[in-house]
Amino acid sequence: MKKVLIYIEKSYCDQALGLIEVTRQLYPDQQVKTYALIINSEVPSCLEGVCDVLLTLDDKFLQFFDQKGIADVFTQVNKQYSFDAILFLATPMGRCIAPSVAMKLDTGLVADVTAISNQDGQVSLIRPAYSGKIMAGICITGEGPIMMSVHSGIFTYQKGKDVVSTHVALTNLSYRYANIKVKDRQEKSIPYDIRKSTVLVSGGAGCTDIGKLQNLATLLNGHVSASRAVVDKGLVSRAIQVGQSGKTVSPSLYIALGIHGALQHVEGLKDIPYIISVNTNKDAPLCSISDIVVEGDALLFLTKLIQKIEEV
Amino acid sequence: MHIVCVVKFVPDVDNFSYNYENHTIVRENSTMLINPDDACALGFALKMKKRNPQTFIEVVTMAPASIIPHLEDILRVGFDKATLISDSLYAGSDTYATSKILTQYLKDIEYDCILSGTHSIDGDTSHVPSQIAQCLNLDHLNSIQHIEEDSFTRSSATVKVESESSSITYEIALPALLSLTRDSSYRLPYVRYKNLNLDVSDKLQVVSNKLLGLSPKSVGLKGSLTKVLSTHTKKYETRDKIIVSSDDSGVEIVYEFLKNKGFI
Repeated sequence: MKKVLIYIEKSYCDQALGLIEVTRQLYPDQQVKTYALIINSEVPSCLEGVCDVLLTLDDKFLQFFDQKGIADVFTQVNKQYSFDAILFLATPMGRCIAPSVAMKLDTGLVADVTAISNQDGQVSLIRPAYSGKIMAGICITGEGPIMMSVHSGIFTYQKGKDVVSTHVALTNLSYRYANIKVKDRQEKSIPYDIRKSTVLVSGGAGCTDIGKLQNLATLLNGHVSASRAVVDKGLVSRAIQVGQSGKTVSPSLYIALGIHGALQHVEGLKDIPYIISVNTNKDAPLCSISDIVVEGDALLFLTKLIQKIEEV
Repeated sequence: MHIVCVVKFVPDVDNFSYNYENHTIVRENSTMLINPDDACALGFALKMKKRNPQTFIEVVTMAPASIIPHLEDILRVGFDKATLISDSLYAGSDTYATSKILTQYLKDIEYDCILSGTHSIDGDTSHVPSQIAQCLNLDHLNSIQHIEEDSFTRSSATVKVESESSSITYEIALPALLSLTRDSSYRLPYVRYKNLNLDVSDKLQVVSNKLLGLSPKSVGLKGSLTKVLSTHTKKYETRDKIIVSSDDSGVEIVYEFLKNKGFI
């Protein structure tokens, strides 16, 4: 029987279900008991009947950004249960807490995993490196649990049979508190979530006219997304970035304008029925996975296509 | 005030060589540059030194000796000291081993604050800053976009962390480790023309394992807890694409396609 602990952050409960699928791929033919750790939050309903054990800790002084404190909690919980694997979602906080925990447990850690290969019991955790130019298969050699942060949106939870979830409130733990205070907090409104869009009009270095991208997106009842090049220029919010360092998207239609499509970008495209790419280079990597490749200037084409749709 | 900047030189990701046999980067042959996020940490530290010339800034990095010219260039911008942690035993260290090595040096030196970047453009694991903080028992915040200059004292700092969904201002007690991002406005200035060939050798120290005294088994590939088993460039399923030009006929084909599939 394998024991796997998954860390649940309040704002990412649904996506954390993907970690259950990771568990299944790690131990395909074995019985697995899944534990979820939930700090300062109600148990999300999506975990009921899915995880075997729901570990909760309520202490308003232990704050979500407290890497030291949370690492202490993990260490003690691991001591109690001796997990075979500890999984995090690669959220901004998850990617901070995971390395602290790994260091405290003296175990290896792989960041931002996008696939798992399991050949004859040799588990290899796959992740892109060097700006997505290389995919690396990494194994954990230490004696500690297998630890990884998992890129969100790649692993899809498939409902298995219902389990009866046991609730355990963690008590008598001792941990440090960070000497950090929140002075001010402002929530930002996100106009739309590109992970939920059915049509995405995506701009790259070769097409940075955001207004025009928006025009086409509106005509197609879709949204605008962008490649890292455009986000790095500060032209649009990182919230709409597609790719390994951005989001994984699955619209029905993806129109890529002036996007070269390095591995890091293509990695963010999953199960998309129709891809149209417009590029001056018809051999750009993204073009090879497209249904239609338009060879030419992306902005010029965008302008013409908008005109055509508006005319009719 | 004593600031330590822990930084990393990274291969230019558009132009680097990789050893596919032992799965490590050939750092000696690659064009190296200062990691962009780390450059912001250096930029902020210099800004503080301008405000208060008493500020002492030490730049710490782990790299092969071939990085020395780059480190000298950074010293010429106006830092007080640079420490290169370098030993052939350290080659191939994963993030765990790297954090242990850096900690072994940092634990014995003086600082009020450690600055670093958040992400690196090569490995992009973001492990090392969190792990150093854990080892040194320091509080840590990352993805910092702004540090209020007036608030930056020996005892605390006020910093702003922007994420997709929120903007949070924290007050953090120092010493602590603060990791900046390249979305911040801090930049590393260029070397002034008159300083281009400035002799900075007295400010540069190279620290090897002779000084740090770590067990050879605990560093390098041997001391790593992760191992790269394979590397490959990913192949994607290609589609039966049609190639059209961007003229009117191309527009027509795309338009018809969108219409047939029900998007218009």
